Amino acid sequence: MKRNETLLGILGRVLWHQRLLTAGLLLAVAGSVVLALVPPLVLERVVDRLTNGEMVSFALALLYFLTLALSGIVDAGKETLITVLGQKLTRGLRHAMCAKLSRMPAAWFSRQDPGAIASRFVGDVDTVEALFASGVVSMAADICKIVGILAVIWVKSRGLGILMLLVTPLLFIMTRVFQKRMLRAQLEHRAAVAKASQQVPETIRSIRTVHTLRKERYMARRYDDAIQAGYWAMERTNFYQALYSPIIVTVSAVMVALVMTLSAMGGGLREFFGMSVGTAVAIIAYISKVFEPLESIGMEIQSIQSAVAGVRRIQAFLAEPEQPPADERVTLEALLSSGQPAVELKDVSFSYDGQHPVVSGCDLTVEPGETVTVTGRTGAGKTTLFRLVLGLYPPGDGSVRIFGTKAADLPPAVRRRLFGYVEQSFRLVPGTVADQITLWDAAISREQMENAARMVGLHDTILALDRGYDTPCAEGLFSQGQLQLLAIARAVAADPAILLLDEITASLDTATEARVLEALRRAAAHRTVLSISHRLYRETGGRQFSLT
Amino acid sequence: MRPGGDRPDQVTFYFRREWRPLVLVTVTGVLFNVGLVTGPLFEGRLAQCLLEVLRGETVWPVMAKLAALYAVVTAVVQALRYGKRFFIRRFANNVNRRMKAVLYAGLLRRQRPELQEESVGSLLTRAISDVDACAEGMRKFTTEIFDTGVAMVAYVGLLASYDWRLTILACLFPPAAFFLASRMKKPVARCAAAWKESAGRLNEATLDRVSGAVTYRVFGLEEKRNEAYEERLADYEHRAVAAHLWEGIMQPLYRALSMAGALMIVWLGSRNVMGTGWVSWDIAAFTTFLACFTKLSVKVSKAAKLFNAVQKAQVSWVRVKPLLKSGSLPEETAPAAPAALEVEGLTFAYPQGETVLRDVNFTAAPGQIVGVTGPVACGKSTLGKAFLCEYPYQGSIRFGGKELRDMTAAERTGVVGYLGHQPELLGDSVRENVLLGSSGSPDPWLRAVCLEEEVAAMPDGADTQVGSGGIRLSGGQQARLALARTLCHRRPVLILDDPFSAVDKATEAQIMDHLETLAGDGIILLLSHRLDLFDRCDQVIWMEEGRCRVGTHRELLKTCDAYAQAFRAQKGGSHEAE
Repeated sequence: MKRNETLLGILGRVLWHQRLLTAGLLLAVAGSVVLALVPPLVLERVVDRLTNGEMVSFALALLYFLTLALSGIVDAGKETLITVLGQKLTRGLRHAMCAKLSRMPAAWFSRQDPGAIASRFVGDVDTVEALFASGVVSMAADICKIVGILAVIWVKSRGLGILMLLVTPLLFIMTRVFQKRMLRAQLEHRAAVAKASQQVPETIRSIRTVHTLRKERYMARRYDDAIQAGYWAMERTNFYQALYSPIIVTVSAVMVALVMTLSAMGGGLREFFGMSVGTAVAIIAYISKVFEPLESIGMEIQSIQSAVAGVRRIQAFLAEPEQPPADERVTLEALLSSGQPAVELKDVSFSYDGQHPVVSGCDLTVEPGETVTVTGRTGAGKTTLFRLVLGLYPPGDGSVRIFGTKAADLPPAVRRRLFGYVEQSFRLVPGTVADQITLWDAAISREQMENAARMVGLHDTILALDRGYDTPCAEGLFSQGQLQLLAIARAVAADPAILLLDEITASLDTATEARVLEALRRAAAHRTVLSISHRLYRETGGRQFSLT
Repeated sequence: MRPGGDRPDQVTFYFRREWRPLVLVTVTGVLFNVGLVTGPLFEGRLAQCLLEVLRGETVWPVMAKLAALYAVVTAVVQALRYGKRFFIRRFANNVNRRMKAVLYAGLLRRQRPELQEESVGSLLTRAISDVDACAEGMRKFTTEIFDTGVAMVAYVGLLASYDWRLTILACLFPPAAFFLASRMKKPVARCAAAWKESAGRLNEATLDRVSGAVTYRVFGLEEKRNEAYEERLADYEHRAVAAHLWEGIMQPLYRALSMAGALMIVWLGSRNVMGTGWVSWDIAAFTTFLACFTKLSVKVSKAAKLFNAVQKAQVSWVRVKPLLKSGSLPEETAPAAPAALEVEGLTFAYPQGETVLRDVNFTAAPGQIVGVTGPVACGKSTLGKAFLCEYPYQGSIRFGGKELRDMTAAERTGVVGYLGHQPELLGDSVRENVLLGSSGSPDPWLRAVCLEEEVAAMPDGADTQVGSGGIRLSGGQQARLALARTLCHRRPVLILDDPFSAVDKATEAQIMDHLETLAGDGIILLLSHRLDLFDRCDQVIWMEEGRCRVGTHRELLKTCDAYAQAFRAQKGGSHEAE
């Protein structure tokens, strides 16, 4: 079996696929770092010429503007490339994760909350994108920027260079302290916000109690308290946020004041700090720029840290064991002409946890055209038996064969024409009413589809809809009973060889129940039928198979 | 806090309510932004002073004084900035809180059927993310007035004082960038909205792919669904890129455009210094002018970004606005005095549904416990819900001679107490779930439902958090806690729908003892499929297909075969009625 894909493997593949973009991004980052350094150097020349009483040519003025403009354009290019590449990465990652879903064993889905899996796809993948866009790439760019500016200052004024080397780490430490405190406050804020937002669905759920007990004011007060708690946590964040920039700007001003004074003091100091007026103007421009990336780097460290949890979850998802692939050589014709029993279970045992068998030593043979009803009390493993037959679960012991082929080996293309499965409750798929029946299968003709609907007695109901079969299907378009009929139409539309009727959980009124029963009877005619004993199918007759 | 007053669906409402922080914002904002010009001013003076020192025209202490003054003034201006930022955020926080309170009050006033129609998810997203975006947009709008408006006026004023002709020439460019940015507002908003919609579609597709995974596998459709998902991914990628591009790329370009003025300044300004220009400048003037202009153009490019933020907020505001309705919440009501209950010819059907109750008749005297039972889907739950008047009923339900449907909501809630299948617990402590803000101790009610000892054994006793919807409690504990809450807020008519379904028989009997004493003169309607305690009821109603037969337990055993059978079947030891 081939090894599971890893997160790095997927990202690497996308980057390699987009290698032109990747190279462009690297160039743009380098360009933006270098170009940010140039304008103050041009300015230095301008001022120095002026202090020496020389004319400034138009060409020099133009050069100053062009370096500024170019720096802006390269920055824009960098941003574009980061965005485009970041989105390519997320798309590639989501694609790989979606493909992984098809390889997950069916049992995995029953253990997971769909909302939680969906949040792997949505929130966690977004953190990976953020990790790339506002984490790794920008951090590299910002570090380069600081190093570049410090290097220029070092060359221009050794004394200031030393001062900056002393102050920059201090400011960086301060930045981190501020950010850590802010993060703590933000976490509290988020917890409070989560508590407040949890109250909205909770209120909707409990609205009857709230209304009958007249607790509206109490609930409003409770909600306001939760928001207020978040508000105080937020105030602390605000405090640090409002304090940070003023401190940085003030420190920059003090640095400028210090350098100017020391340069003016003469003697050895002037030698050490010494600079021309032009250099002084350039230095002032640099100092205000050197602290900008500090704040960004701090934020980037933070976004990398907060992305770690999401990245871990994605890695865990990708590392989940996969089921073996189906045997693509199996064809429907070969199966149907095999002369083997339609369904054959031999000494089958199955357990979800490896300790408590749900099904054990089960033997069942269903010949083509036969009707078998599975009986047994709740928890006897009826639904599990169905899932074994459908090949969703591999049997722990023994074998499950459909027309002589192992159930797990049946390829997807064959399944639709092999199994007609009426599920416990109807699952609405996105699309039109017609899609509910055909499941987007172009091989099912319009006529076949309408016949299926006629058979369950829904044809006229559907024609009465706004756009007939092409009406977009949504919750509430059909009643519970009609959905049950639709499920039967879906199961028989592709004229499957084996019909599997699961227990129906919905409670139906007597008239609807009769219609469903009638539809089931018609669907079962001339087919191999395996059904779970239920009040609806008691009369379907055939052989009984009891699970204990 | 009062969500009411005038029009919470107008933006101005929130500005008027928050005038105090706004005044502080104005004062600090104006002072700070005017103070901003001191930066370039000093930087020019410093450069000039260095030149003079180097030429030997002045001495270093002059420079030291100037530099110290520069540092101090900068610190003061930055302190003002701190004040401005602090108050503007307080303003945004207050707006956020007020909007959410209005929104939530609107939710509380909705009826249950309405709430079931509107999807819970969309309400939640609206309430939280849209309000956050709106408050953020209002904050940025206010910031913009000061940080862009006032600051630009101050900068332009300073520039003009040096050389008005050059100022006009150089300042042609920032407005051009500004104009371009405001023209871009529409596509920015459109792209942002399109991206958000695409994200919504992608989320839906993701959830569908995951939650339908087993169905898709059974029907061999997984590949097809993966392809459909890929389409969504492609759509999302394109829209995300478009939205980001507008947002991220335009800013550096605006900035480059507005800096075109620097070309004029370096070229013509140097002539001023050389004495061949329009006015005569020293190095200080040249440096100040250029530094000041650079800051101005940065402001302009940021203004464009702020516009975008306001634009995005408008998208959210449009969505959240219809939900912001003023109105007060009802006061709590006191329980009504006990009286007799008469139900006559009660017929009930859900809108567009079949008739569930047909001609139900019974009366109950104060202090009676009435057991109601019947096969699955016989309509006993609906009988209980009819008392809530969520949907209109036909026939008559009278309490103390007064028709239930003619009562005001306040009167009716004083009469009818209801506990349905769902415990409807809050994600709060045991205590809060019983008392719901009322004063007193929860203990008597916990004792009445035989939950006292279990609660005492919990880590924080009655202050133990039960988790969202009571998830940390067992099913039986949830049901009993809900019963304790209902008893704590006692009404003369209590409708209990299957309160003992998850409780063992011994506990059930014990709770019944407590119920009998607690009920006093109140009437209890006990809807249940467990009949062990029905011999203790004052009356029993047997329901089948919406019709009912009324009598005492003994009478029904004799006259109603179905009831007698069901009762004996359960006494026979089976736990299930079906």
